[in-house]
Amino acid sequence: MIWALVIVPILAGLLLYALPRSAEAAATWIGVAVAFAAFLVAAFGYGMPDETIRWLQRPFVANFHVGLGGPGYWIVLLLTLTTACALTVARLPRARDFTAQMLVLLGAMTGVFVTRDLMLFALFWDLMLIPVFLVLVAWSPSKSSATAWKYLIYNLAGGLALLLATAAFGIEQGSTDVIGAAPGTLATISDAWSFWIFAGFALAFLIKTPVFPFHTWMPDTYADLPAPMAAVVSAVQSKAGLYGFIVVGAGLLPGPMRAAATAMFALGLVSLVYGALAALASDDTKRVVAYSSLSHLGLILLAVFSFNPIAYAGAIVYVVAHGLFSAGLFVTLGEVETREDTRLLSRLGGLGTRNPRLAGALTIVALAALGLPGLCGFAGEILILTGLYQAGFVWQTIVALVPVVLAAAYMLRLFQGTMHGPVVPDLPEREDMTPREILALAPIVVAIVLLGIDPGPVTAQAAQVLRTAAVSDAGAIARTP
Amino acid sequence: MTPQLVIPFGGLDWTAVAPLTIVALSALLVILADLTLPKSVRRPAALGIALAALAVAGVVALQGWGHPYAAFGGAFVCGGFSIVFQEIVVVAAILSLLLAATLGRDDQSGGALALVLWGASGAMLMAGAANLTTIFLGLELLSLALYCLCALSSRAGAREAALKYLILSSTASAFLLYGLALIFGATGSVALAALAGANISSAMLDVGCGMFLIGLCFKLSLVPFHIWTPDVYEGAPLPVTAFMSVVTKAGTLAVLARFAYVLAPLPQAQSLLVPLWVVAGISMIVGNVAALAQTDIKRLLAYSGIAQLGYIVAALAGTSQQGLRYAIFYLGAYTFMNLGAFAVVALLSREREEGSNLRAFAGLGYRQPLLAAAMTFFLLSLAGLPPTAGFTGKILILATDVDRSFAWLAVLLIVGTAISAYAYFKIVRAMYARTTGAAIQRPTRPASALPWIGVVVCAVVTLVLGLYPIAPSDVLPLVK
Repeated sequence: MIWALVIVPILAGLLLYALPRSAEAAATWIGVAVAFAAFLVAAFGYGMPDETIRWLQRPFVANFHVGLGGPGYWIVLLLTLTTACALTVARLPRARDFTAQMLVLLGAMTGVFVTRDLMLFALFWDLMLIPVFLVLVAWSPSKSSATAWKYLIYNLAGGLALLLATAAFGIEQGSTDVIGAAPGTLATISDAWSFWIFAGFALAFLIKTPVFPFHTWMPDTYADLPAPMAAVVSAVQSKAGLYGFIVVGAGLLPGPMRAAATAMFALGLVSLVYGALAALASDDTKRVVAYSSLSHLGLILLAVFSFNPIAYAGAIVYVVAHGLFSAGLFVTLGEVETREDTRLLSRLGGLGTRNPRLAGALTIVALAALGLPGLCGFAGEILILTGLYQAGFVWQTIVALVPVVLAAAYMLRLFQGTMHGPVVPDLPEREDMTPREILALAPIVVAIVLLGIDPGPVTAQAAQVLRTAAVSDAGAIARTP
Repeated sequence: MTPQLVIPFGGLDWTAVAPLTIVALSALLVILADLTLPKSVRRPAALGIALAALAVAGVVALQGWGHPYAAFGGAFVCGGFSIVFQEIVVVAAILSLLLAATLGRDDQSGGALALVLWGASGAMLMAGAANLTTIFLGLELLSLALYCLCALSSRAGAREAALKYLILSSTASAFLLYGLALIFGATGSVALAALAGANISSAMLDVGCGMFLIGLCFKLSLVPFHIWTPDVYEGAPLPVTAFMSVVTKAGTLAVLARFAYVLAPLPQAQSLLVPLWVVAGISMIVGNVAALAQTDIKRLLAYSGIAQLGYIVAALAGTSQQGLRYAIFYLGAYTFMNLGAFAVVALLSREREEGSNLRAFAGLGYRQPLLAAAMTFFLLSLAGLPPTAGFTGKILILATDVDRSFAWLAVLLIVGTAISAYAYFKIVRAMYARTTGAAIQRPTRPASALPWIGVVVCAVVTLVLGLYPIAPSDVLPLVK
């Protein structure tokens, strides 16, 4: 059944090409149905037994091993839900082909978060590049495909580093079927090797997240991707890096992970501040969200490298929360773009009087993004900041607070620039949110509120990670004050 | 197993060479059919005979699995190793012949088919060759067939390619032959096994081995002996290029592997073989960098082949049995992904024009989605992306290099792969971008649907090998 979560969307995506090109509406609804079915299966599939098929015996053991649990469970829910919602509002030329690519992406990314084997992890990690590249090539407005190249080269470089690190890990450990394994069952890898192996993984994760200075592909990619795919990529694909740090870094290579903490803190803090400042200065609505992602993900990186249980719980909550509100932001901003044919804040304005429902939707997701108490962003931020402070990172916590404040500034600026002000006369006037668009956004909003009120179920997952991952070893926690 | 048919001629055991004998003799049948049959059935009949002969040879070769023995006084060794290489040659020859149906008249004539068969039998001889004379015999049989095949075509540039190939390849053969002579002088025997037994350390042997390896690198077109490859690939007719890109490499690689593994126990082996690994490393980088700028698919695949061969030789570094298995696995994967790409090019070709220019791919994703999807899949495999045999093969090679303390080769492999992505994805982009190719061409009707068989077979095998990597277990012993 867990395998079905991976295979069915990919097969469904490929089979969509068998439909006649004109059956665009049917293709879209099939896509929504597959994604929603995946959501239901995943939601009720918590704790399903792992599924394993043998793959390699030599040179190291590798299995097609998948399981649904831990932080991956919530990310899979997030992924399937955002894909279903994003597909519902997708209004693009060649909708059949686009839906197909979204489904392939859904399957590949589900694979990343359910796999329990590092080699399989590497397989899905590289696989999820391909649909995004194809969509950037075929749907982006630019003629030169420069964005697609940037996306591919950055992420493939990371993917190949991951591949090499996986091979080396397999040789040193004898098996790659280790994700989520109890700490005691792993062989010890010599320091020299574990450093280089971690370096390979870390490069892949830093590029994918992305973290300064590997972030330059990200604003272009998010700006050029069609809004529905941008929503899914920013909500979920960017989490693969952080998920990797939690599951592979902390879980399998705790030694070098701890050794790298100082450097990662530096990168995280730079991303945090730089992203917030860049978001304040961007004129393009999608770029504002892209840079705000850089800032928010930097905060999560700090939490991951603080090795503090509270911060870890916060990191996992914020991973899901950021996914929800950034998907919500991209969906609503995509709707603004389809109505006004522009994304520039300097051109937009006054949309709130014409399209009050759209303004309302943007209000909710923007408030979640700036961390309003009661919504999901706050739940994650407060846990992370508390944890960082508790772990003894005082000045780092203070620096991290600045962008949290700046978030209010750029989110309000985004809202103001699109919704407030005088109506711009030369922009087209289109109808307000249709019931279909409301239907698409409703689950995301509900989830934003639910997670804001009670992040308990998600933090419970964090507790489980802490038990299995090496973070839980007594020394680490004892050393954190 | 069935009792072996042994014809009483001392050490002459014809069952050992039965597969390649079948292939070589069937070439005569092909010529006969071409001469005698009425015009209308001539070509299909000749093609049918050739394909059937290859298939039979493949089946016959498999019968020897699990019964390693040396025939002809150790000149030809049967066993897992030679069988796997022979199968690769047979499969590559069959897939190349499927492409031959799309091309102009000259290439289809019985002569060309017979030459392909003779070339294949030469490569099959190299697969089992365990002494210096059979190595050279197989190599020349293969090379001479290829010179003629290049020159047969009426395409502009084919003669130039043939002449270039003849001159440069003969130079390489001269190196090789001189090396063989020196090795013979040092060991006093033509058998490769003599190298392993003799504990000789002489300058003559070292120089001989060096020249022999240079000759092999030339035939494998590893950097810096690769300059001829793109020109020859571009000039030769498409099926011949496809044939050359796999069969020559498979045959030469068999000789190289056998030689390297025999040499490995010698005290001076490391200093003799290290240059080979270095050459493999350089090939990965240079081949991929040069592929970046190509706009002709055949040239691009020529450069990519240089890099791919670098990956395969890198698997041999450390001369472990595991490495040999993965080298063979990757060679098998390369056979299918590479010939799959050639089959797609063949389907894009029209009467007088090969579809090898990048322009022929513009908008293919909207004209012929299935063909474009297949091409994308082969390119993904060549670039080492999942879910393909190229991905699994690469991770196996990385693992063996790390295991045998050749981590620097693994790093070069990764760097080379990263560079190659642009070269391969350039084609993917051309197929799917809306903006390339101002005038989208009408779907072309290929001259024959036969390459579709190749496309489907290659795609399925590339996928299956990616998910279930079967590396032959019984690949040693290499010499007797």
